[in-house]
Amino acid sequence: MAYLELTGLEKRYRDAVAVADVTLAVEKGESVALLGPSGCGKTTTLRMLAGLAAPDRGRIAVDGTDITDLPAHRRNMGYVFQSYALFPHMSVARNVTFGLEERGVAAKERAARAADALEMVRLKELGHRRPRELSGGQQQRVALARALVIRPSVLLLDESLSNLDAKLRQTMRREIRDLQRTLAITTLFVTHDQVEALAMCDRIAVMNHGRIEQVGTPADVYERPATRFVAGFVGSVNVLPATRDGQGGLAVWGMPIPGIASFAQGDADVFVRPQRMRLVAASENVAPDVPRLKGKVAQSIFIGDQVETVVSGEGGQVTVQSLSGAPTPQAGTEVQVVWKVEDTLIFSREAS
Amino acid sequence: MLRRRQFLQLGGAMLAMPSLARAQAPRGQITLMAYTGIFQDNYMATVVEPFQKAFPDIKVNYAPGGTSAAMLGNIRAQKADPQVDVVIMDVTTSSIGNAEGLFDKITPTEAPSLNELYSEARAVGGDFGPAVTYDHLVIIYDTQTVKPPLAKLADLWREDLKGFLSISAPPNIQGLALTCMVEKMEGGDHRSSINKAVKKLRELSPGVKTFEPNPDGATLLLNGVVKVATGWNARSQLYHDESKGRIGVLLPPEGSVFQINTINLTAGSKNKAAAAAFVNYALSQAAQKAFTERLYYAPTNAKAQIEPKALARTAATPETRARMIPVDWMEIVKIRDQWNNRWRREIIAAN
Amino acid sequence: MTSARWPLLAIPAALLLAVIYVWPSLDLFRTAFNETGATGAMIEAFSLKVWRDLLADPFTYELTVNSLWLSVTATSIALCVAYPIALFLFRTDTRFRGLLAVMAIMPMLVSGVVRIFGWLTILGDQGMVNSAARWLGLISTPMRLLFNWTGVTIGLAESILPYMILALLAGFGRLDRALEEAARSLGASPLRTFVRVTLPLSLPAIVLAAGLGFVLSMSAYITPKLLGGGRVFVLATEIFEQATTNANWPMASAMALYTLVLMLAFLGLSSVLSRRLAQ
Repeated sequence: MAYLELTGLEKRYRDAVAVADVTLAVEKGESVALLGPSGCGKTTTLRMLAGLAAPDRGRIAVDGTDITDLPAHRRNMGYVFQSYALFPHMSVARNVTFGLEERGVAAKERAARAADALEMVRLKELGHRRPRELSGGQQQRVALARALVIRPSVLLLDESLSNLDAKLRQTMRREIRDLQRTLAITTLFVTHDQVEALAMCDRIAVMNHGRIEQVGTPADVYERPATRFVAGFVGSVNVLPATRDGQGGLAVWGMPIPGIASFAQGDADVFVRPQRMRLVAASENVAPDVPRLKGKVAQSIFIGDQVETVVSGEGGQVTVQSLSGAPTPQAGTEVQVVWKVEDTLIFSREAS
Repeated sequence: MLRRRQFLQLGGAMLAMPSLARAQAPRGQITLMAYTGIFQDNYMATVVEPFQKAFPDIKVNYAPGGTSAAMLGNIRAQKADPQVDVVIMDVTTSSIGNAEGLFDKITPTEAPSLNELYSEARAVGGDFGPAVTYDHLVIIYDTQTVKPPLAKLADLWREDLKGFLSISAPPNIQGLALTCMVEKMEGGDHRSSINKAVKKLRELSPGVKTFEPNPDGATLLLNGVVKVATGWNARSQLYHDESKGRIGVLLPPEGSVFQINTINLTAGSKNKAAAAAFVNYALSQAAQKAFTERLYYAPTNAKAQIEPKALARTAATPETRARMIPVDWMEIVKIRDQWNNRWRREIIAAN
Repeated sequence: MTSARWPLLAIPAALLLAVIYVWPSLDLFRTAFNETGATGAMIEAFSLKVWRDLLADPFTYELTVNSLWLSVTATSIALCVAYPIALFLFRTDTRFRGLLAVMAIMPMLVSGVVRIFGWLTILGDQGMVNSAARWLGLISTPMRLLFNWTGVTIGLAESILPYMILALLAGFGRLDRALEEAARSLGASPLRTFVRVTLPLSLPAIVLAAGLGFVLSMSAYITPKLLGGGRVFVLATEIFEQATTNANWPMASAMALYTLVLMLAFLGLSSVLSRRLAQ
């Protein structure tokens, strides 16, 4: 039995279903990201965990104990809010000791633990300040210290980095991940940012329309997306409408796609990630078991260490991403786009 | 019926006219300020409109005022540039206006009707605006619940009325008048002392539901909040008719006190001739008769021939006039604050 | 650029205030130094006679105490009722929120006379409260709830209630739901959350609303007049009486200025307190 178990959670707001049926198991010390577009139910799931929203159905268990009906203040969850929610009428130190005071921890121990927590987030000197005298990143750290100092059973982070600028966000990502690993604290965090999810977690749960579409390691989710949605949401992807050829295989832009003869009936799309595609000269001879498309270079876009080349063919456009530095073909050049058979993802169209 | 009455009023207006018609007939606009509500409706119909028929060249605007003090406030504020030409208000207030130079004196040359007034009606304003209406304090009661009916002032102290009384306390004039009446009932005279009245009213106090009826005693009576209230005769007579007799009106046999409204010429009026013509008409036999018969204010014009039926509902019959307690309002005003304090400390506080 | 234009935008309001407030106030100030003759006539003067009369009269202090006591009790009662209502309105996400808010401030639109008839049916001898108490066997003779201090206090509390709800709603700025949720997640029970987070954060709003309620109560004369049955004497009713029954403007003016000073002193105190609390 896993440390944290969510079973068949469901939450409705009036007529709208926020969370349809969420089942998830998280091991002790593990960090799991709830990733999904806004409105997918990820924050609601987190709130139900913290006891800030009551599920209509389903159960939540921590360490084998059912906490579904436990009020928020008896759950021992460390919640870091998107807005940080620091108490403006209390000093930073008082914010951090708040949870300890409510737990009846003796003053001496309180002070020591709060000092430790502040030191952990490198804010030891700022305990006497008011929250509004701190920068966004500092406030974020106080919120983290306040949530951690109570030694929560689970740390819950709700879009906690979204209010920081890009640079600071990167630093905080690493800091939080380090802390999480050092303390081996079970963590569940909500984000709509796939880079953040990939960088900070052991496993990702991709949510859409109130359901979890796939749970897996970052590599799992990226390399072997279970659904069209996951394939499209995590990382970028070329979606190529496929037609059925005479032999039961699939063809894109009139070219048969090798190595997928076993595909089931119905219309389907072929998904290939731009990074996994390669440009070769039109004249080059490509082995018949290599998937390929033919087209003309429409344009090349330089994006730093990568170059995106858009290729137009008879059935539309694909984007190919390659390392910059190599010579890029001129617009109008006839090219072939090739990739490996194992990089071909196929999703039936009805399933969407 | 109505038409004949209007005809009579018109005739009266014509009779009043010749004396003025001899001079250059006044014309233009004047503004009359007087009480709003019932007073305005009836004064318009019985005095202002007939006057305008008699003097088609004069247009009278009726500016509804609030209390007498509020009207005085208006006149004070407009002292530099008066917008009002004629004001009807309580004598205690108009005397303030006279002293402050807000009003002009009126002579019989300007308003010959002055010569027809009761001497005390004319004397009340000195050389200034004379009395135009008389009213008096009455006790009104709910004839459906007060049994036996109220017969005298002393009945206010009846056990069955405890908790159902509405008494207007000073500085309201009703309260001042009641003080005089109770002092007299107890065998005293308010001019020397009101000790007896205070002692007696103190006994009444715990049974008084309100010392400040709002909007007025009659309304509280009709709502069943009180059964007995003090009130002014004219209005009460009208309420009696409107309530189809449910509100009974008693002129206490122990006597009552006149409330006097005076009619005043504003100093600096821009149309003094027309204003004087109006004052003269308002004091004329025809106007006094018409207004008394409509709203039961007693006339101040001694020669006004009032229908006996209407006259009986005022305090203008010889026998009731004899029962009225003579009150010099000018003297009362001087000691009003003292009386007011005694009411607050000795009467109202006795709960 | 924008900050330079603000004073310009404020000019019409300032002019309006000057015309409808400052000028009459100066007039009031001047009138308070006139004298009143024996029969009530106002005498143009520049004397302190009225002030001496006012300040030497023990009744003035009785009125002051009455006014302060009435204002404090009515404001306290109104605050106890207004606070939960305002908190609910501030937080609720029901679609009827707008309607509920309008209902809460509707009494502002009711005229004084209509109000008294409303109170008669509730607090009168045959009113709802007395009938209910009698039916429950709590009393045998009706309680006197009207035409005395009780009636005025209840009526005044009700009449300032909408203003206090609005003031509280306006002052709840820092009351973020997430703060209460943070407290709950940190182990504070709902009651503890209220005491440690909600209440301290709404203190500026409470002080603001209480200040408004107090000033409105101090200056209220309609309710004491309508529901006091002539037994409730406060500064506002006495000013009204002096001005509109006795036509004694100098005394009314002096008393009004006296009351104004009392209220300004209180307002200053409450705004200092409010600013302190907001920090």
